[in-house]
Amino acid sequence: MRRRISIGFALSLLLLGSMSLADAQTKDDTLVYALQSDVDTWDPPNSVLREAIILGYHVFDHLAARDLKTRRVGPSLATAWKTIDDTTWEVKLRQGVKFHDGSPFTAKDVKASFERVLDPTKKMTARGNHAKIKGVDIVDDYTVRFRTDGPYPLFVERMTALVIHSEKALREKPHEWVQENPIGTGPYKLVRWNRKQEHLLVRNDDYWGAKPHFKHVRIRIIPEQATQIAELISGGVDIIKAVPPDQMDVIDKSGQARTASSPILRTAMLQLDQAARGGPNPFTDRRVRQAANLAVDADAIIKHVLNGLGDRTATAVNPMAFGWDSGLKPYKQDLGRAKKLLAEAGFPNGVDITFNTGPPVVEPAIQQTNDAIVADMAKAGFRVKQNYIGDNTVLVARIKEGKGGPMFNWSWGYYSVFDADAILYDVFKCGENYSYYCNKELDDMIHAGRSTLDQKKRAEIYVKAQKLLFDDAAYLYKWGLRGVWGISNRVEYQAPADEVDRMFLATPRKK
Amino acid sequence: MKTVTASTDVALGAKTVAPAPRRSRIPLRRLWRFKWGVAAGAVMLLVVASAVCAPWIAPYSPVTVDIQHRLGPPAWMEGGTRAHLLGTDQIGRDLLSRVIYGGRVSLLIGTAAVLVSSGIGVLLGLAAGYFAGRIDWTIMTLVNVMLTFPFVLLALAVIAVLGPSLVNMIIVLGVADWPLYARVIRAETMAIREREFVLAGRALGMSHVRIIFNQILPNLVSVIVVIATLQVARVIILESFLSFLGLGVQPPTPAWGNMLGEGRVYMLNSWWIATFPGLAIFITTLTINLMGNALRDWLDPHMKV
Amino acid sequence: MKYYALRQLIQLAVVVVGISMLVFGILHVIGDPVLLLLPQNAGKEEYERYHKMLGLDKPIPVQYWKFASRAVQGDFGTSWYTSTPAFKLVLERMPPTLYLTTAGLVMALLIALPLGILAALKRHSFVDNLCTMLAVAGQAMPIFWLGIMLIIIFAVRLKVLPASGYGTWEHFLMPAFTLGAFLAPITMRLVRSGVIEILNMEYIRTARAKGFAEPTVIVKHAFRNACIPVITVLGLQFGQLLGGAIVTETVFAWPGVATLTVDSIRNQDFPVVQCAVVLLALIIVAVNFVVDMVVGLLDPRIRLGT
Repeated sequence: MRRRISIGFALSLLLLGSMSLADAQTKDDTLVYALQSDVDTWDPPNSVLREAIILGYHVFDHLAARDLKTRRVGPSLATAWKTIDDTTWEVKLRQGVKFHDGSPFTAKDVKASFERVLDPTKKMTARGNHAKIKGVDIVDDYTVRFRTDGPYPLFVERMTALVIHSEKALREKPHEWVQENPIGTGPYKLVRWNRKQEHLLVRNDDYWGAKPHFKHVRIRIIPEQATQIAELISGGVDIIKAVPPDQMDVIDKSGQARTASSPILRTAMLQLDQAARGGPNPFTDRRVRQAANLAVDADAIIKHVLNGLGDRTATAVNPMAFGWDSGLKPYKQDLGRAKKLLAEAGFPNGVDITFNTGPPVVEPAIQQTNDAIVADMAKAGFRVKQNYIGDNTVLVARIKEGKGGPMFNWSWGYYSVFDADAILYDVFKCGENYSYYCNKELDDMIHAGRSTLDQKKRAEIYVKAQKLLFDDAAYLYKWGLRGVWGISNRVEYQAPADEVDRMFLATPRKK
Repeated sequence: MKTVTASTDVALGAKTVAPAPRRSRIPLRRLWRFKWGVAAGAVMLLVVASAVCAPWIAPYSPVTVDIQHRLGPPAWMEGGTRAHLLGTDQIGRDLLSRVIYGGRVSLLIGTAAVLVSSGIGVLLGLAAGYFAGRIDWTIMTLVNVMLTFPFVLLALAVIAVLGPSLVNMIIVLGVADWPLYARVIRAETMAIREREFVLAGRALGMSHVRIIFNQILPNLVSVIVVIATLQVARVIILESFLSFLGLGVQPPTPAWGNMLGEGRVYMLNSWWIATFPGLAIFITTLTINLMGNALRDWLDPHMKV
Repeated sequence: MKYYALRQLIQLAVVVVGISMLVFGILHVIGDPVLLLLPQNAGKEEYERYHKMLGLDKPIPVQYWKFASRAVQGDFGTSWYTSTPAFKLVLERMPPTLYLTTAGLVMALLIALPLGILAALKRHSFVDNLCTMLAVAGQAMPIFWLGIMLIIIFAVRLKVLPASGYGTWEHFLMPAFTLGAFLAPITMRLVRSGVIEILNMEYIRTARAKGFAEPTVIVKHAFRNACIPVITVLGLQFGQLLGGAIVTETVFAWPGVATLTVDSIRNQDFPVVQCAVVLLALIIVAVNFVVDMVVGLLDPRIRLGT
């Protein structure tokens, strides 16, 4: 795209950038939330970042929404839904809702939003999540039918995963405009976005649902964790997330703020290259994988390094996900057995492993836990060398290419879908971008699990799948993460179990 | 009589022309005048000695993990023990041992990088100053480009390609700093080039190489030594800066820079993890600077570096 | 004077071009951004298509020429990460960094000028070493350590300054001081040597011989001319600032171009990196040009010599 930037335009940009940013908000009507990194776009389906999802919740609505207390999916822009047959869902829409630009919300907006994401030429990041939907048909202004490619049991969960855009905006404005100007139906509107610095939201007084208490929300980008905590305890920021467990005492002792934690869906593990995507490596042998699992004392690490803030998992299926098998017990540290297994596998004198690691983006205390794991593995004969890749985007790209092995950090947020399929498919199925495991038996189970709408049958299938994954020691299993939030004492706020912060639920604390 | 040199080179310390002093006998009793420098030198000797003797004086191995005793405070604070004089870090490694071993890496990188950069810089500076003309113009343009080009970007780019390792760090730091030497050496060379003994040498038919290395270079030794000494301090700081960005020496190998980086989140409660390596950098850099000052004054009080 | 200006301009232009070539070359050796841009389910044909679309299949000199010819018109391409024009992104973030570095330089001068002059006057004495120690202290302390300490003291404990962010003059104080402390030692050293040089010049000795009191000598004669090396120093320092700026911007959540550049390198967002580096180089080079012009005006020997 050729564009000539005139001197005048450049100068005015310079001047604009230099204007003071003090706005008309007062302290009482403004809630300040800190993020470690900024979003790349205000068009959530076009971004892989969790921050984009979180911000999306404020300006947009989804068809369905999760009730944080019961963790069940309830109505939002959709009021009711049912299956017509195995491959068709009918959804009734809420009436009387308006977009921020004044246009009314009807079925055409739902159709436009979904078709846009499903369109392969648009290359939206979220396409894979909704690919089971073949088409969207308008029945009338407030009724929509979704045709799916075979039975789609996750449909209800996934209704919480796509924001509804204004069809008018999508039709009239170019793609680049949509990246910076979100037109949704949500509780807040975007006033201003200073990249990498802050966003300013203002309350939508015509909102169809419960109106947020705070008139303004300032989302400040503060990359340095120590600075975030300093801001929290000096009153500059009200809510911060991803507080490292080691820093909780600073906040709790400050008298200005407190910490709150909640188990979240995100589960951590170390992926082992069983599928040999990166070439032959020791982890193609099940005994080596089992030895790795047996070498690590994960319970001690959770206790001492995470200060107890982790929930040990037998596999990578999180206790909060549908299909989790509570009867399966995790590996317990057994160094003797680990050494024996290694010797049986042909490594009586130990084995050298390269471990690809990254910066702490979503997993708290990842460097400390990595060091502890490496130290434990050394006791069983694994000589692990850490290869630190300073940028998460680069690391993820390499993993996608198949260059992540033989061992690397991985955690999965399930896209906030509380279902075992949401991790088994992407992280364990043979051939998927982020899966380094290949087992036909498992693939068959995954397929079976998502091909029926019978929840009882699905649960049985998933119990079998977890036993397989455990016995085969597919990866080095760790734990379900616990999110830790820092909350100012002037605010009342609950730590969200789905990792999505909702500023519109925050209220001032009563004295 | 003064030679006119460009203002920038004046600021960087080119000498005004004075007759080259005889360097064969520098009175040792002048050393007393530089007691601060000597004291600094003694401290520096201690630092170097502890780095060299690390395996014998460090109480623990720097990489032994002990998560039961992580985040232990220094011995004189509540909760500290004499077993860990400076406390433990975030996975229980003894901080004192890590600081001692870290000195090895930092000093090694500092010395090696300075050798590389002074080697390149002196050679190019000599060439630019002696041959002048187009060679001079080319080299000085390169110098200006390098000086304007932000070091950080260069480091990021290079290490992103080559990967972070000790050798790559030395290469990057060495390559980043040579322009400084080149500029100063060039100015000095130009000044000396016009002097009688050089002209005489040329008249006698000495080759360029001989003139450069036999006549010009010996007069520059003191300048080079002083700048190089000061640069060691600067390189140590740059190393800590690169480690802060995650590009430096990789953990678990202790280097003062990466220890700082690992400890930065803990500044608010377990402050000792970052503070002691920081203190080590501080003391080392300070003493090197004082030593460098004294060295400069001892070798040639008229030097303006 | 005209020839001097022309000579400097040409050299500066060469420097900017040289930098742009260097950046371009380095970036294209680093890695493959196509993989980062493609959505998860893309196949090999997609990859080839993208490669072609971004022009990455042509030889590097050709790619450079296309880049350079568009760049002079202000078109640095579109950011691969955020789909906005790279020029706009960089320009948006330029003012905070410029203000910060200016404030940092001022702070550095405030520290370095008095220390440098004092050290020059009392050469080789204890005072000289003390000034060195004070100046070096700022640099030997790692920037982020100093920055966080300042935040802890002034924002958390005393609550007189905001911990981070950008907006009012209070937001400037700590970052400027942090950056200034980083620059002070080298600045001090250069001021010191500049003042020493001036003080030894003949007209100063003449002034002393004429019997002027020392303060008069210093203020009236030395100081005005000492400004030359000081201004020169400023020009030199501007180029070194990016390193200090990156850490300062990170610690104080300052929305500047230094962190944008580092992030863009990490994201392999080539258009933005190229744009940022070239624009920064232009600014640095322009500052140096102004400095050289001012110095040339003040001191005829400089522009006539070498």
